[in-house]
Amino acid sequence: MIPVIKWTLWQRRWSTMWWSIGVVAMIFINMVFYPSFKDQAEQLQKSFDNIPDAALQLLGGSTDFFSAIGFLNSQIFFLSLPLILGILAISLGSSLIGKEEQELTIESLLSRPISRTRLLLAKASAGTIILGAVTCIGLLTTILTALIVDLDVAAKLIVLVTFACFLLVLSFSAIAFLLSSIGRTRGASIGIATFMAFGGYLISSLAGTVDWLKFPAKVFPFHYYQSEAILRETFNWSNLWFFVGIILLCAALSWLAFRRRDIY
Amino acid sequence: MPNKDRDSGLVIKKLSKRYGKSEQLALDDLSLEVKPGEVYGFLGPNGAGKSTTIRTLMNFIGPSGGTATILGYDIVEDATTLKRHVGYLSGDFSVYEKMTGKQYLGYMSELQPLKSKGYEKKLGKRLKAEFSKPLGELSRGNRQKIGLIQALMHEPEVLILDEPTSGFDPLIQEEFYGLMKEAKQRGVVVFASSHILSEVQKMCDRVGIIREGKLIVERSIAEMASEAAQTFDITFADKIPLTELKKIKGLKVTSHNQNRVTIHIHGKLAPLFTLLSKNNITGIDTRTLDLEEVFLRFYEGKGERR
Repeated sequence: MIPVIKWTLWQRRWSTMWWSIGVVAMIFINMVFYPSFKDQAEQLQKSFDNIPDAALQLLGGSTDFFSAIGFLNSQIFFLSLPLILGILAISLGSSLIGKEEQELTIESLLSRPISRTRLLLAKASAGTIILGAVTCIGLLTTILTALIVDLDVAAKLIVLVTFACFLLVLSFSAIAFLLSSIGRTRGASIGIATFMAFGGYLISSLAGTVDWLKFPAKVFPFHYYQSEAILRETFNWSNLWFFVGIILLCAALSWLAFRRRDIY
Repeated sequence: MPNKDRDSGLVIKKLSKRYGKSEQLALDDLSLEVKPGEVYGFLGPNGAGKSTTIRTLMNFIGPSGGTATILGYDIVEDATTLKRHVGYLSGDFSVYEKMTGKQYLGYMSELQPLKSKGYEKKLGKRLKAEFSKPLGELSRGNRQKIGLIQALMHEPEVLILDEPTSGFDPLIQEEFYGLMKEAKQRGVVVFASSHILSEVQKMCDRVGIIREGKLIVERSIAEMASEAAQTFDITFADKIPLTELKKIKGLKVTSHNQNRVTIHIHGKLAPLFTLLSKNNITGIDTRTLDLEEVFLRFYEGKGERR
């Protein structure tokens, strides 16, 4: 199992580096403007007071964009970080097994004495390590830039919201991984997982203003990710069990499907 | 790990495979055996079921019915343990394009440690393999060499090869036949599919021909040879006894001029030589025995069922 993890990480070393650079750049570019926003917070807040409710929901439902917490939430944790990590997560989930199968290199692995269960576990572990590494780089960048731009939010809260974001995107990855493990094409796996991820963002966001969306929103992981509540310490942590449940369910179904299915 | 039953070799019993809801079976009650030290050639036209058989033996796809064991291990239940003893190569060997040969073989040997350290380098020298270039930059033949090395480097007791010489030049093909000969001497079970009939004739002890998922015939190469038509060019001092020649069972006159005739004969040669002994012969040439025609007869469905 260890060689598969090691060589999967080796094969993805450059792409992981570029994703890390992207995350660092995204966070840095967003955070570096905080001092300018802070100085004009009052005027900027007034211009946001008249924003329509539906648009407000798409921005996280908060009316506070320019306090330290409001800025951090709206610029990093509500959408940008879940978006960039979500794309990486879905890409990993759909390709860890899917790419090996599509390019037939999976035959090299399965012709060796490694069980399908161990192969699946090794690939899932490699994906989690990559996603975890890029998330940690994002976390460190956020904490460091927050110190640089004097954004006054406790590091502990940044760690907690990053952890919730990691679980959110890991659930996207698990959905994509399940779809490729049951033999769906990479395109289908990416498409369906993207709908679950970012369609879920739209539906969960609009559910604040559209009543009939309230029930379907509960099916999507994004509904349970409330970054502002975590930063304001009002979050109901039992919501995270939804992510854990999805990840475990997808892992179990992936294993059930992959261990006996035909590899073409 | 000790073998369960090394002497049993490869045993396939009534193996069948149906893809999805297809009405037609891709494999239909396939049964065959290959003993240790035997090289078995598995032949058939495209889509006959050769690759399906091999992929089922490797447990890439599951059988719809029947069983198969290799060295006593069930191909499905004991798949992981079994693969400690198996070397596999597909004709369309797929690679990690960015890895070099050295890195790829390193990866594979981490998954399945080698019995003799450095054996992959010895194989590399014999096959003139390129280890330092990324696999994606190699020609098909050079990639296939790396594929062959990964199949042989852990010195397996069973070799399952799907069109193994695809892309090899004639010199490397000869080296491959040498490697198979050595494997046979070590008592390795070799099960190889091929399209190249001359290769099968050269390498295999026995052949099975599959068509539409069914094994239609199994013969030793010696048996095939006895069924093959032989070609003679005969020069007569006098007039050719064409009428008498044509009466011989299994004989066909392919061309003739005034006193030289080319004939094609299946089966017993005695009646031909009896006739020749009664005539004044000035020359007789035999052409190399060619099994291709026998193979093609079965390929095209003119051969008997097993």
